[in-house]
Amino acid sequence: MKSNNGRFNVKPSTAAVRCALVAMAIAPAAYAADAVDPEVAALTQPTSRIEAGVGYVNKDSAKFGEYNGLQKKGAYGILNLDVRGGTYGDNDDGTRWKVIGTDLGLDTRDLTASYGQQGKFRIDFGYDEILRNRSDTYQTPYQGAGGNVFTLPGNWITPRVPQVSAAGTNFRGLSPVTGLAPALVTGVSTPPTAAQQAIVNNIIATDVPLFQNVDLHTKRERYDGGFTYTVNPLWEVKGSVRHEDKTGYKPMGTVSSQVSEFSATLPDPIDQSTDQYNLSATFTGSKAFFQVAYYGSIFKNNVQSVTWQDANDLTKFATMSSAPSNQYHQIGMTGGYHFDPTTKLVVNGSIARGTQNESFLTGEQNNQLPLGLPTQSLNGLVVTKIFNMKLTARPMKDLNVMASYKYDDRDNRTPVNTYFFQDANEARAAAASPFNSALGLAANTLGSNINIYNNRAYSKKLNQADLEANYRIAKGQSINASYQFQKIDRDCTGAWIDCEDADTTKEHTGRIEWKANLVEDLSGRVSYAYSQRKVDNYNENAFLALVPMANALGVGGAATNGTTVATQSALAYMLANGLTGYGPLAGFSPPYTGNALIYGNNGGIIPQALYGSRNNINELPGMRRFNMADRNRDKVRGMLNWEATDKLSFQGGADYNKDDYDNSVYGLKSAQSYSLNFEGTFAASDDLSASFFYTYEDIRSKTAGDAYGANSNTANVAGFTGIDPVVCYGTILARNLNGKQDPCLNWSTDMRDKVDTLGLAVRKTGLMGGRLRLGGDVSYARQTTDIGVNGGSYVNNPLAITGAPAGTIAAFFIAAQNLPTVTVKTTTVRLNGQYQIDKSSAVGMIYIYQRMTGVDWSYQGMQYGTGTNYLPTNEQAPNYTVQVVGVSYTYRFR
Amino acid sequence: MLGAICAASALLAGAVSGEARAAEPASTRSSVQQDGLAQDAKCTVCHNEAWRKPVLSIYQTPHGNRADSRAPLCTSCHGQSENHQKDPGGARPEVVFATDSKHVSPTDARNGACLNCHETGKRMHWSGSKHQSEDLACASCHTVHAPQDKVLAKATQPEVCFTCHKTERAQTHRISHHPILEGKVVCSDCHNPHGSTGPKLLVKDSVNDTCYTCHAEKRGPFLWEHAPVTDDCTNCHTPHGSTNSPLLKARAPWLCQECHSGDHSKNIYSGANLPGGNVTTINGNQGLANQSPPAQLSARACMNCHVLVHGSNHPAGAKFQR
Repeated sequence: MKSNNGRFNVKPSTAAVRCALVAMAIAPAAYAADAVDPEVAALTQPTSRIEAGVGYVNKDSAKFGEYNGLQKKGAYGILNLDVRGGTYGDNDDGTRWKVIGTDLGLDTRDLTASYGQQGKFRIDFGYDEILRNRSDTYQTPYQGAGGNVFTLPGNWITPRVPQVSAAGTNFRGLSPVTGLAPALVTGVSTPPTAAQQAIVNNIIATDVPLFQNVDLHTKRERYDGGFTYTVNPLWEVKGSVRHEDKTGYKPMGTVSSQVSEFSATLPDPIDQSTDQYNLSATFTGSKAFFQVAYYGSIFKNNVQSVTWQDANDLTKFATMSSAPSNQYHQIGMTGGYHFDPTTKLVVNGSIARGTQNESFLTGEQNNQLPLGLPTQSLNGLVVTKIFNMKLTARPMKDLNVMASYKYDDRDNRTPVNTYFFQDANEARAAAASPFNSALGLAANTLGSNINIYNNRAYSKKLNQADLEANYRIAKGQSINASYQFQKIDRDCTGAWIDCEDADTTKEHTGRIEWKANLVEDLSGRVSYAYSQRKVDNYNENAFLALVPMANALGVGGAATNGTTVATQSALAYMLANGLTGYGPLAGFSPPYTGNALIYGNNGGIIPQALYGSRNNINELPGMRRFNMADRNRDKVRGMLNWEATDKLSFQGGADYNKDDYDNSVYGLKSAQSYSLNFEGTFAASDDLSASFFYTYEDIRSKTAGDAYGANSNTANVAGFTGIDPVVCYGTILARNLNGKQDPCLNWSTDMRDKVDTLGLAVRKTGLMGGRLRLGGDVSYARQTTDIGVNGGSYVNNPLAITGAPAGTIAAFFIAAQNLPTVTVKTTTVRLNGQYQIDKSSAVGMIYIYQRMTGVDWSYQGMQYGTGTNYLPTNEQAPNYTVQVVGVSYTYRFR
Repeated sequence: MLGAICAASALLAGAVSGEARAAEPASTRSSVQQDGLAQDAKCTVCHNEAWRKPVLSIYQTPHGNRADSRAPLCTSCHGQSENHQKDPGGARPEVVFATDSKHVSPTDARNGACLNCHETGKRMHWSGSKHQSEDLACASCHTVHAPQDKVLAKATQPEVCFTCHKTERAQTHRISHHPILEGKVVCSDCHNPHGSTGPKLLVKDSVNDTCYTCHAEKRGPFLWEHAPVTDDCTNCHTPHGSTNSPLLKARAPWLCQECHSGDHSKNIYSGANLPGGNVTTINGNQGLANQSPPAQLSARACMNCHVLVHGSNHPAGAKFQR
């Protein structure tokens, strides 16, 4: 908008009033505050405000009330205040205070207060509540919400579908649709018998009523205190403390048994506190400044664990650890020095200790820790050292330059130990671990399914240098160019072998930007940045650091590609064969030679038991974790700003980002996004304004994987051999001989988010003789998520059983399908108005309308009758229309 | 004429001041205060309560607190501007802050006026910071004369930031977002727009240290650490808003599969595995009670079991299940 600075024609008749401040200044004692001209006082004296009223919400909705405290139908109180006092104007001795309260009638209330004598001291107080409503549709049969022990009601019947399995747990038995569906019995679709139906009906009649709603929400209550003490014009001391209590429940997936993956989502109790402290002393001189500061954060969790009854096996309980209490203390110093008016150096350094020493859970359940613990607590320690240095200068009139260096060392000094554990509620395998002898244990002490793991203490060291120059080419036109070099070293303290996928990554980034006032009312900028990140040697065997038994000689190992591991450790075997991982090598194709032999016909990977793990913990060769992978990055930014008239202006912008992980065969391969922004503002007059914005964002990423199978000589399924459709292999034998190289098992995904967001706002004041002001906002957001999947999987034909007709298909190749589009649309209308009754009184009204419609397949799996091995929660995708209306009275005073 | 009237007013005030001063406690007015107001008066004589912008409201702010000897005069920021005093309609003040003015001063001049006093505290790292190199002026965001600076109030701060950060504004409207529009988390909770030692102008030295100021339970160190968590929270999360709750960059299980390809994480998860998908209805016509979508594609996906993805302190929690 254009400005008009020319208003210097002061009428003599009003000059005396306008000179009030002159007079006040020269003879301040002559004027008491109440003698000040009301117009002057209106500007120089603070106005306090108290607003009180009542509002009404017409419908329950946790999502609508996610953060605004309006989650429940019914009336609520409106109470806001802004009260200020102290000495202002000519009586000002510097003492001022204020109390500001927002949403005091809701569970999102916020109250702050300060009192001080400026130039001497100030003290601050604050109280804030942050409520997050997570779900009001979550259901669970578990009892004990609010505590940390969850049990099932005494009459709970473990669900099953007897026509499928007479004794097996099956949560699909909670729905009549799936619980009473026909099952295949010797290849024939067979309805359940009357007895089976009675069992299912009894389960439904008993268990379904046991599902109760639990509102999932968390609430933070913050108490703030602070002070500022000005020692003298050169020195200032500041301090603050924040205590936060966080309580409530959040959903937590819990696996009762990993073997069959029985899982239940529990209302995880949250009862935590965090105390944060800041203390600093700052010196400010004419050419230099200096600050020494302390920051402390102490987190305490009052819930150490959560225990629950296994819905699959009521005789068992399981226990989950909660986040451990921890502390972080940092001391830092910052100094700056002006060599001359345009050359400045700022140096900063800090050292911090992060510790965690919560006692480990010792209540061993289900023989989960057969050898006990190597230590009773972690004694975790992370020492972080940081150093920053930045030099800025203007060597020429139109040239600004900057050079900086950053060092950030997160040194994890946590002790490393070996832990022996069974997976979640998994029974010990009958077979013995190959490592009992190597560990000096009696034979058969540990089962073959034992996990023998070392913890990994990840450390990270950053070195970064930046150079930047900004040159003004001409008036209103400049070029900015910068270069950054970043090197990140990663390692693990005490690891027996290199634990990091990428020990060192180096990234070079160059950026250039052109800014210009193209014509008088049109300005713009465009920039381009390119980054290239390289990994010196990507280590596909980093996972070995987790399993120290890979370096031990086991006994009784299984034959692997003709070699018995009993004669060498897993690591030795790998090294001898020049392998870079345990999985199939990416990109290999017959004939298999060299390293690929292990993946040739009938070649098996090393059983995980031979490195002391219950799972194959390796990744596919060719998998690159994206945060450490080779990457090329392009970024383009552009923006135009057009001041069309004094009253009308437009802005438009575009961003484009593209990441390519060209050397990643599997994992994230590329990510790109772009956004378009358009905005207009119109100030028709002093009392009428409007604005509009629209943003479109498109985010896309592509990932690849390989669901390789096992190689075998198995040639049929119940005597049948054909696969339908024939995509890669036509027979069971051909497929099984090539299970590790089957191209049909390669898969890829293409995930894409598209989001439109628009908003319109109108403000009108000065109505009804200046007494009425109105405002309105409308916003609309439409977001879609599409996940495209290429590939497929094999499924044996359940009709392929002995006695089936000749020619029965043995297995189907099921082509992948794209996921259904996830769509969420949100429309919000907000209206407000205020009518000024008199100088100190006003009445106001607000109206809010919000409608959200959500279609999301992820909720399908939470319903009765969808999963065999996880407990439904019956949560619903957010769909609501909520209206809120409120009226209030505002009293202003001075 | 105007000058004469003002001078007369001043003289008159001076004439009566002796009586008033005698009745007033000496502590209520300092010489600093008097001097400040007197010196401001040469500006406020014209830029007074009738001025088209409420410049006098600066006296409600710390800048106008004349009891503080550090508080600036009008000329501290706008320059002595003697030519402007002599010829108000012709010459401009030495430093013009209004960005909508044709005569706005160069950014360095405007910021210099502020940094004279505000170089320390949260502005220690201003020089060479992103906003400085983008030629932003303090007045681009701050309204110094206003009794309540919008950018300093939680409820209105995002409006100021969104003036430039429009994509971030749109992201706050997504189904999963920090409560920014609701005024419970504001930009300055995470960012220091005046420059910092962290990336993206974050208030702490790193992304993680910034996140831990509110999410300290994820700080650890844990017995079993999840490498991408200790590396950078934004490996998985996007802070301003996401289509995937909770603020995830992509949906599980595919987000997890960007890094994991062993054991069951190597498997393909597609629409064919959903309830009603092809795998559960082989041949398209067999309703099979013993077929079920995999847990990894249902409900909370991988987090149905591996829920402690931020780290576990359970001796048997290496797989983040305990």
